[in-house]
Amino acid sequence: MKKYISPLAAVILVALTSGGIVLAKDSCLECHTTSGDKPSALFKHDIHFQRGVTCAGCHGGNASADDMDQAMDRKAGFTGVPKGDDISKTCAGCHSSSEKMKSFGSSLPTNQWELLQTSVHAKSSLKGKEQVVQCITCHNAHGIVQVKNPSSPVYPLNVVKTCTRCHADVAMMRSYNPSLPVDQLEKYRTSVHGTRNAKGDTRTAECANCHGSHDIRTAKDIKSKVYPTNLPGTCSACHSNVAYMKPYKIPTDQYEKYAKSVHGIALLQKHDQGAPACNSCHGNHGAMPPGVESISKVCGTCHALNAELFSSSPHKKAFDDRKLPECETCHSNHEIIAATDKLLGVSPEAVCSRCHTERQNIKGYQAAKSMRSLIDSLDAGEQQDIKLVDEAEQKGMEISEAKFKLRDVRQARLQSRTMVHAFNEGKFKEVVDNGLKTSIIVAQESQSAIHEYYFRRFGLVISTLIITILAVSLYLFVRRLERNKIQQ
Amino acid sequence: MNQTSETPDRQSKRDFLKIILSGGVVAFFGAILYPLFEYLIPPKQAEVEVSSVKAGKLSEIANDSGQIIKFGTKPVILIRTAEGELRAFSATCTHLDCTVQYRKDFGTIWCACHNGKYDLHGKNISGPPPRPLDEMRVVVQGDDILISKKV
Amino acid sequence: MKTILKRLYTWIDERVEIEGLVEYMGKKYVPVHRHSIWYYFGGVSLFLFIIQVVTGILLLLYYKSGEELAFESINFIMSKVQFGWLIRSIHSWTANLFILSAMIHMFSVYFEKAYRKPREITWITGMLMFFLLLGFGFSGYLLPWNELAFFATKVGTDIAGVVPVIGKPLLTFLRGGEEVTGATLSRFFGFHIAVLPGLFTVLLGIHLLLVQRQGMSEPLHIKQESDRKTMPFFPNFILRDLTLWLLVLNLLAILAVFFPWELGKKADPFAPAPAGIKPEWYFLYMFQTLKYIPGKLWFFDGEVLGILLFLFAGILWTMVPFWDRKSSRGEQNRIVNYLGLFAVMYIILFTIIGWLA
Repeated sequence: MKKYISPLAAVILVALTSGGIVLAKDSCLECHTTSGDKPSALFKHDIHFQRGVTCAGCHGGNASADDMDQAMDRKAGFTGVPKGDDISKTCAGCHSSSEKMKSFGSSLPTNQWELLQTSVHAKSSLKGKEQVVQCITCHNAHGIVQVKNPSSPVYPLNVVKTCTRCHADVAMMRSYNPSLPVDQLEKYRTSVHGTRNAKGDTRTAECANCHGSHDIRTAKDIKSKVYPTNLPGTCSACHSNVAYMKPYKIPTDQYEKYAKSVHGIALLQKHDQGAPACNSCHGNHGAMPPGVESISKVCGTCHALNAELFSSSPHKKAFDDRKLPECETCHSNHEIIAATDKLLGVSPEAVCSRCHTERQNIKGYQAAKSMRSLIDSLDAGEQQDIKLVDEAEQKGMEISEAKFKLRDVRQARLQSRTMVHAFNEGKFKEVVDNGLKTSIIVAQESQSAIHEYYFRRFGLVISTLIITILAVSLYLFVRRLERNKIQQ
Repeated sequence: MNQTSETPDRQSKRDFLKIILSGGVVAFFGAILYPLFEYLIPPKQAEVEVSSVKAGKLSEIANDSGQIIKFGTKPVILIRTAEGELRAFSATCTHLDCTVQYRKDFGTIWCACHNGKYDLHGKNISGPPPRPLDEMRVVVQGDDILISKKV
Repeated sequence: MKTILKRLYTWIDERVEIEGLVEYMGKKYVPVHRHSIWYYFGGVSLFLFIIQVVTGILLLLYYKSGEELAFESINFIMSKVQFGWLIRSIHSWTANLFILSAMIHMFSVYFEKAYRKPREITWITGMLMFFLLLGFGFSGYLLPWNELAFFATKVGTDIAGVVPVIGKPLLTFLRGGEEVTGATLSRFFGFHIAVLPGLFTVLLGIHLLLVQRQGMSEPLHIKQESDRKTMPFFPNFILRDLTLWLLVLNLLAILAVFFPWELGKKADPFAPAPAGIKPEWYFLYMFQTLKYIPGKLWFFDGEVLGILLFLFAGILWTMVPFWDRKSSRGEQNRIVNYLGLFAVMYIILFTIIGWLA
């Protein structure tokens, strides 16, 4: 039996277990190898075995006793096959103790068990007696090898298979989280990450890169790496790393640009979870940059009306002919800033003038020019209305009705900004004119309220003048009466 | 001599005072009565805006329909679902304050400005709206539908 | 023109014999002395009462009582009705000036000892009218059904509820139930436009009749016949009164235009009370006093004691003609002066403290 143990290993074993039980021999392994069971066979390739941990290290008992009853005596500390949470606790017995780990010459972190407790996998299983996932669920029990060993179930190329053992199992997932899909691997294989991973690239993202390894939380957990507000940071961990991304020859400034964009500001600064993160455009498990054709569909999932208007606009064909991406051409991609009215028109900062100039595509040039002046006049009308309403309000006048109509002006302006995407001057003018009409009514109403304010003061001056004159003349009259009386 | 020169002066002064006085009385009554009579003329507009609004008659609202109702200074959307249930929400889109409407073809509440959609419980389900619409209280009294703020 | 008037006068005189009354009025004189100015405050109060009646009736044309309508209807008056803002602001401002002028009138009468025999009834009716005025102010304050009014009424009726024995029934009577609700509003509306004006008019009739019948009281220090100066009640005093009334009207117009009465927020019974709830200024000194009284004094409840104290002071004040015998005999009574001075100082001081608090 001894021939299975290499002399070198025996030396290391003796040297390394000086802190623990000093073993002369390992009767467990001897017997179990003879009986030819699988665990003992696997264990010989196990990193633990190589580092001198014996069967008794996890299962207890007396490994030096030849007698089976003696060796597997419960009184001697034999624990048998650990059940339930005892499995992970057994692992944690060493893996959570930095001293013990050091004594085995390992520099692995020692917080895995702790992290696992915060994970969604620490939820109790259907039986309710233990956590769903134990260490051995992913790492195996016997025959554990280092992560960098290609045969490890948690080696980058194997992780997906390990995770999908459960996550692709419909029956299993239904019993824990029926709303969770089970096609992640399928999708993943369609993504750039997944295809590269399949080809043996260990550097592309697999499950654990985005979801974490021991501390996997649900996507709804605010601390999850894939929680909407955390997701851009998770992607950028690799994608903004210039050195890491070098072999792939793609830009690394997406995060930087995104953070400055209207979407990035909404998500990262205003914590508006409706705002798109990386995955909203590129997909989750099937992450991929959208092609020229599909950009409008990507943007259109949220900006549907704009996309719809664009599709039926004359620009659709023009862009297609020139192979221009639909939204991106004017709005850019990662660095989409909040669109202002300045994008429209023929001024230098306007995007229309990139194609439409006075000499080239003159019809569009004129349309852009007049559309811009329309929206500008509506904007000016709204600004004036706000000023007038404010003034009337400051003067203490009651103008809630004008204020109510002011909302319609604003609505028309916002609607016109959407209507721009139809690139149809007539339709655009209709929306703007509606707004302008209301704007004039608001201006009239608030002006009459302001007028009323001055009318009140004017009326006061007139009436106090009348009353004062009357009072003074009455007083003079009384004085006269009294004087006359005295004279008489 | 002195007396004769003084008397007409006094006389004219008294007359002047009397003119002022009687003119003043007339003007005074004018100043008082003008606002009074103006006040008595009933204004054209509807008389009272109420914070709980009568939204119409139950029998006049079809199933699977929605309408905008003026609630003070803000619009409210009253929805009657296909099952006949009544619900009311603030009609102000939570995205950029446009007024939402009911779209029969989608079966959702829809904002024309940016295609935001809410389900018939006011929850934002698609498009840019960041949060659900505020719900209002709907009370049916006999055939009358009353909408008021949720407490 | 003149003949028509004369014929009308004769026509009336033939039937109701007003000749005597006119003659009586013509012979009526008002004493003139260095305290004559105080005589005018009775007239000013009367004028303000007339304004309240007129503007009150005008407001009634558009006001709607009820939890759901009161606030909105006042808002409607303020914004939609032509000059509605003016009528409402004048009504509110007049209410305050009325109480102020009535207070001045009361204190001047008190210090001049004008309540002494034979004018006890005039004094009593005046005091009763003053209490009615406070009732007018308290009930009218709630009618716009705004936040401040709602909570002021809540606190005010709470205080009334503390009075021993009758407190609880009184509270229920005032509120029309356990809580301040629409029922309270209906009640207060009724008090404000029917009960109080009715009582007030009767008292005012008696008050004015007695003033006409007995003439103005003269201060004690005018004794010698040679000191006496007078002016005819009609037309001199009346016209002077009218002149002052015009000036008061001017003041009201200016206040109404430059300081229009705010409407505030609609009352919401479920909202938390806003910070700094204060009653109207004429209740402030009492409110402030109740705040300073400790919760327990010996074995009495502090608040109850305070209310009883004010009740006692009010009764004592009203009854002054009956316990101040000296003045009736034409002698100086310093105690009355000191008491009055104390009351004036106390009210001013505590009103200011309450205002600043």
